[in-house]
Amino acid sequence: MTGQRSAPAPAAQDPAPAPGLVFEAVEGGYGSATVVRGLSGMAAPGEVLCVLGRNGVGKSTLMKLLLGYIPCLAGRVLLDGRPLDRLDPPARRRRGITYCPQERPVFDDLSVRDNLTLMRHDRTLAAFAPYFARFPILERRLNQHAGTLSGGEKKILSIVRGLSEEERVVLLDEPSEGVQWENILHMAELIAERKAKGVAFIVVEQNLAFAERIADRYLVMDQGKSVLAGPRAEIGRDAILAHLHV
Amino acid sequence: MSPIFLIQAINVLYGVTTLAVLVLGLAVIFGLLGVLNIAHGEFVMVGAYCAWAVTADGLPFLLAVPLALVVCGLLGLVVERVLIRPLYHRPFDTLVATWGLSLLLRKTAEAIFGLGFRSVRLPLAGTWHFLGVDYPSYRLVLIAVSILVLAALFLWYGSSRTGMRIRAMVGNADLAQAQGIAVKRLAAGTFIAGTILAGLGGVMVAPLVPVQPFMGLDYVLRAFFVLVVGGLGSVLGVLAGAGAIGGLDSVVSALIDGTYGYFTVLVVAILFLWLRPRGIFAHN
Repeated sequence: MTGQRSAPAPAAQDPAPAPGLVFEAVEGGYGSATVVRGLSGMAAPGEVLCVLGRNGVGKSTLMKLLLGYIPCLAGRVLLDGRPLDRLDPPARRRRGITYCPQERPVFDDLSVRDNLTLMRHDRTLAAFAPYFARFPILERRLNQHAGTLSGGEKKILSIVRGLSEEERVVLLDEPSEGVQWENILHMAELIAERKAKGVAFIVVEQNLAFAERIADRYLVMDQGKSVLAGPRAEIGRDAILAHLHV
Repeated sequence: MSPIFLIQAINVLYGVTTLAVLVLGLAVIFGLLGVLNIAHGEFVMVGAYCAWAVTADGLPFLLAVPLALVVCGLLGLVVERVLIRPLYHRPFDTLVATWGLSLLLRKTAEAIFGLGFRSVRLPLAGTWHFLGVDYPSYRLVLIAVSILVLAALFLWYGSSRTGMRIRAMVGNADLAQAQGIAVKRLAAGTFIAGTILAGLGGVMVAPLVPVQPFMGLDYVLRAFFVLVVGGLGSVLGVLAGAGAIGGLDSVVSALIDGTYGYFTVLVVAILFLWLRPRGIFAHN
């Protein structure tokens, strides 16, 4: 962190790499269709970057680029200054990036309990007590197949699984979709607790009321590009709404 | 119970359990990875030749088990890496590719061992007196081993950590990757497990059948019938399918003769394809 590099790196101008997750002019899509064009942004430790935009502007594609599901055609993704380019999603997970996807957020064929403990070293549920206090519904459904949960309950299960991984960077794709407002507030509080511990978040959202509660920075997208970006204090609701409803 | 009836009952049990083990590898690979491995029968053949190679050298039969494990495992490793991995999610292409592989394996066996039949001496000769009848000892051992293998795999898949991760991978590969499951390696391991099971099946049946390069064809056909009847993705389905196909074959063969047994199996398989294409346990 403090070291000055003895060998000069031509591309890096800043001797101290930015901590957290940084993406620089990333570009990518599916097949011949480029969905995301030249997007830059970052989530520093203890900060939430909210990515907003209408349906189909490339928000989930951005997440898939950051996680390595699809390759960056241009630009790069850095974690604490180290490029992630060649790493596949499991390798990025091992580097400390948690991901809660928008679509199919849980393993439908596994029980709620197995969804929570699948990758944990101990299969006890002791670590989940604080989450069950907020979302008692999960504890009641432990032995049910996750496929039988409602859409909102699956989202809750997904975010609890994600936060319980206790990693430094968390990517959430539409965590509030289908979730009751009361539970959305619980999610916001959980995110705030993690933020205070220095976790960096990138959250894709449609729900502006939720975004306003958690965001430190906004990145508003349209047609794969950034149309508005900056700290929350500098960006008003009207400016965002102008891009959400055209 | 009359002795003849009991012997027939053990015959049916023998047919069903050994068939289930022979199908298991194919079912694992098809059910979990969606890859239809036409060369499954050739892995059985390779296992049988392992048994022949060991016993022809005068070594104990049981050494064929580790040999088949290594040979079929390495073969599976290479095949998955070179042939299968680039073709996941392209079912028709894997069908053609594994068909080509089956030709290659058959011809290779022909080149090395020749077309002639080889026989493997029974490692356990004679009969055992069992419930009042005399029954070939080796077959009784095979029934027991088959049941053990099936039960062990069933328990392991249902309750082990790896079994759970395989289920997660099969159900939702993207999410499995997001949680750090190395899906490529797990899929390769699953494929290799399937080829090893085929090889072990080959070792098991080698002393009872003529070992020759084309022996795999019959097994792969039978295995497909079992999958057609039992459906995919569950050990229970494999058991039910093997029970229906193996049981029917044994019973009809005993009552009339082998040709009618095979004929009945074909009719049942066609009826299932026609009326219940997703197998016995399909929901709708």
